[in-house]
Amino acid sequence: MFDLEKAIKHWRTTLNKNSALEDGYKEELECHLRDKIDHMISFGSSEKKAFEEAVKKIGEADSIGAEYFKTDTRGISGLPPWKKSRWMPPLFSNYIKIGLRKIKRQKLYSLINIAGLAVGLACCAVIILYVTNELSYDTFHKDADRIYRVATHRINIVGEFLYSTTPGPLGPELKASYPQVEQAIRVIPPFENASHVLVVQEEKRFFENRIWFADKDIFQFFYIPFLQGNPQTALVKPNAVVITEGMAKKYFYEEAPLGRTLQIEIDYDTGSVEIQDFEVTGVVKNSPANTHLKYDMFISMPTMTSNLPSFEEDWLNWHGKYTYVKLAPTANAADFEEQIQQVAKMCAQKYTERYNRKMDLNEFFLQPLTKIHMYSNNLGEIEPSGNWYYLYIYSIIAFLILLIGCLNFVNLSAALSTTRTKEVGLRKVVGAQRRQLIWQFLGESFLITVLAFILAFGLISLLLIPFNQMAGTELTSADLGQPIVLLSLFGLLLFVSIGSGCYPALILTGFTPVSVLQGKSAPTSRGAMAQKLLVVGQFAISIFLVICTFTVFKQLNFMKGRALGFSFEQKLVLRVQSNLQHLRRDFEAIKEDFLQNPSITGATVSSSVPGDDTDSGYYLTSKAEDFRNAPRLKVITMDYDFIPEYEIKMVTGRPFQRDTGNDEQASYLINLAGVKELGFSSPEEALGKSFMAHYHRMTKRIIGVTDDFHYRGMQEIVEPLIMDIEDSLMNTITLSIRVENMKELMRFINKKWDEHFPGVPFEYSFLDESFDREYRYEDQMGRLLGIITTMGFIIACLGLFGLASFVARYRTKEIGIRKVLGASTSNIVTMLSKKFFLLILISVMIASPLAWYSMNKWLQDFAYRINMNLVIFFVAAGGALAIAIATVCIQGIRAAVANPANSLRDE
Amino acid sequence: MVSKNLMAASTKPMILSILASGEIYGYQIIQNIIQISGGTLEWSEGMLYPVLHRMEKENFIRSQWKISDNGRQRKYYRLTELGKKELEKERKQWMSVHNVFSRLWDPFPAIE
Repeated sequence: MFDLEKAIKHWRTTLNKNSALEDGYKEELECHLRDKIDHMISFGSSEKKAFEEAVKKIGEADSIGAEYFKTDTRGISGLPPWKKSRWMPPLFSNYIKIGLRKIKRQKLYSLINIAGLAVGLACCAVIILYVTNELSYDTFHKDADRIYRVATHRINIVGEFLYSTTPGPLGPELKASYPQVEQAIRVIPPFENASHVLVVQEEKRFFENRIWFADKDIFQFFYIPFLQGNPQTALVKPNAVVITEGMAKKYFYEEAPLGRTLQIEIDYDTGSVEIQDFEVTGVVKNSPANTHLKYDMFISMPTMTSNLPSFEEDWLNWHGKYTYVKLAPTANAADFEEQIQQVAKMCAQKYTERYNRKMDLNEFFLQPLTKIHMYSNNLGEIEPSGNWYYLYIYSIIAFLILLIGCLNFVNLSAALSTTRTKEVGLRKVVGAQRRQLIWQFLGESFLITVLAFILAFGLISLLLIPFNQMAGTELTSADLGQPIVLLSLFGLLLFVSIGSGCYPALILTGFTPVSVLQGKSAPTSRGAMAQKLLVVGQFAISIFLVICTFTVFKQLNFMKGRALGFSFEQKLVLRVQSNLQHLRRDFEAIKEDFLQNPSITGATVSSSVPGDDTDSGYYLTSKAEDFRNAPRLKVITMDYDFIPEYEIKMVTGRPFQRDTGNDEQASYLINLAGVKELGFSSPEEALGKSFMAHYHRMTKRIIGVTDDFHYRGMQEIVEPLIMDIEDSLMNTITLSIRVENMKELMRFINKKWDEHFPGVPFEYSFLDESFDREYRYEDQMGRLLGIITTMGFIIACLGLFGLASFVARYRTKEIGIRKVLGASTSNIVTMLSKKFFLLILISVMIASPLAWYSMNKWLQDFAYRINMNLVIFFVAAGGALAIAIATVCIQGIRAAVANPANSLRDE
Repeated sequence: MVSKNLMAASTKPMILSILASGEIYGYQIIQNIIQISGGTLEWSEGMLYPVLHRMEKENFIRSQWKISDNGRQRKYYRLTELGKKELEKERKQWMSVHNVFSRLWDPFPAIE
């Protein structure tokens, strides 16, 4: 009798012979078969006949399966696995699969590898960004290679100077007289208040500090894209101003800025300061970060000439006027430089005529635009120049971290290689060539590096925040998109993956399949030697970094803790940037006004406060009007209250006193360094001696000598200083305050400020805070080093941890047998750690002299520094050793307390 | 009988057209074809399913297992938006071919 169910079941098993038919497909086919049979039976067919007919109609399992296979395998390669593909290496997908599987199975080791590399790569990427940014300064200008800044080399009675600046009329003169000059541009900051230009738009009042007078052609000369207005005519009329997008938003919000009015206060150094109306005639893009000439506003040059008619004729004032020239493509810069000495000579001539004094040397020289940031460090630079020193330090640190990460990778892969000998043996037996295998393992390290890179991209944005603060840059992760950066990153990727993959690849593929498959394989001794070297290398770098970090922090603490020689707590500093005449004339009255509030215990007015980077100085002479070879002393001018308010100690003599009546006309104070500078052997000897200062040509007597208080912070040695009562330099008010009701007090001070300096924004700072800022560089470098060293050390320890755990696992049986024979836990831990202990000791010995040498070099820059002593080395090395040994011991103990029965039974 | 090549080319538009009228399962598709063609088109029935599978992969159709009234599990197919567009494309192509032939084989051919 025909059993339909049985027949269908049997038919279904015949489908199994084609493996492309998956369960769902078979189900659907069976469903079709049953429908067909039902259908035929309903037409009167017998079950048997219907079944046979239906099976025939459906067709062969193999041909259906083949169709399914074609559909399902499409998109991978479209080729059956045994056929060679056209562009991918054979077995490529298999390599990827094995690589990913290894990463998944050995989670700990992979994590150590990837994390280590990622940290190194992230640091490197940030440094690449930084270096590219530093070296790309001003390269974006059109014809940047033909643009030069004219600078001045000058020797006169006071000394030899390199200035970034030139006389005002030089630009037009060069353009008119020298055919090889295509264009010449002058850029000039407001003379007296460049860092604090008051800008007013209705009720909005701000100080700006990137405002320039500029010749009208500046937008054709430099690359400054115009957004609104006409670049040809924007700076033609007097009182026209071109502002950046950012400024437009700040002063006009969303309103159209063109044609609107800004009030700008400019001090032309003519005695009176006026606030004038300026018409906005153009809007340009914001200043890029990588130019030495950063800008917010450009004011038309005719504004300058209408306010200061003598300007275009004044060849003798060369302060703050920057001249740029663009030479014709055919012109020779050296020849041109030679020719313009004519103009320089003419200048010197005028100087002699005017002052009846000879100028020993006056020369112009050309500075290529793109070199200004990194190479030029003249007087009057627009912004501090780039620092090769930090460029190198950062690069070296980043490279070291990357090296630790790579060494980790090499080390762990080499150790793990023993777990893969069987795979390699089998691959070789079925026909793999060594070259093929090397590619496989290089590919694996590439895979890991790529994963590390992905992780690193996340880290980069995190790292950029502290880095930008420290280096004063404005780098963003968007900068990574620059072709040159991408190219370097890609190079880094290749370098790291090949560099760290090639050693494991060579070791792994070197096994002979026969011995591996017979089970004779063991970690080779040549591999063991290399591993030791790698551990030593890794730890040498880490310990080097630890010692450096320690030293930096110690130096920092030393500087912060050293007595400064004056009181800097509870001091509020007000800087007067506008309406200075009022301060200089009426400062005693202003002080009285502030002192009405009982919370203000003292007030003093001076030209600068301790911690300022003061540069003004007096040339002093004891002979009449002859300043040849006269010594120069830094100067702070002050009122009677300065010395007592700042609690500066007198060594001998007396401070300025009101009741003597004529200290203003007749007296100086100097510091101890000043005593030496003026050629006296003791402070007492200096008392009563008279000097004339070049600044005001007055002769005064030294009435007292102060201690060497650190008026310029701790990095610099205390320089010779003279203190004088001289109104015309004063610009700073210091209030000593008692902090009880801060809000109330600040409201009071603000109110008084507005009474005396109406319309001037109220800005203040606390002296102790600004003093902390003095150590910003060292502080941030210390912090960066701290972070990086910790990371590096963690990576190194992780690597050691991995290695130790591997060794312990490899020796499980040995440990088991030793335990059975009676070894104690401590015996075994000692046995396992001894080797590592030795290695780390060697690293300490390598790292210490290197660290000693480099840190000594770094400390040279500080006037007051700690001594490098053995304590630092002992602490750093001991700490490193302790952490490393602890890492190893954790693994050792785990191996030692394990039950030997478990390890020995496992066969 | 229709040649193998022509069968292969016409399967897809036919399936799309049948699915255009609504959700339907494999066996019904075959029945529809047999009925409409009056038995002149004969498919190797099992071969329909790999074709459906491929069309699903190409996102022209979607499938869903459902329990039918007689308790049997069946896989139903329906057209996606993309499938509707594809059907329109196919229809245009086949109509233009059809037009050519109908002119050519007209009792009064268009070409002299």
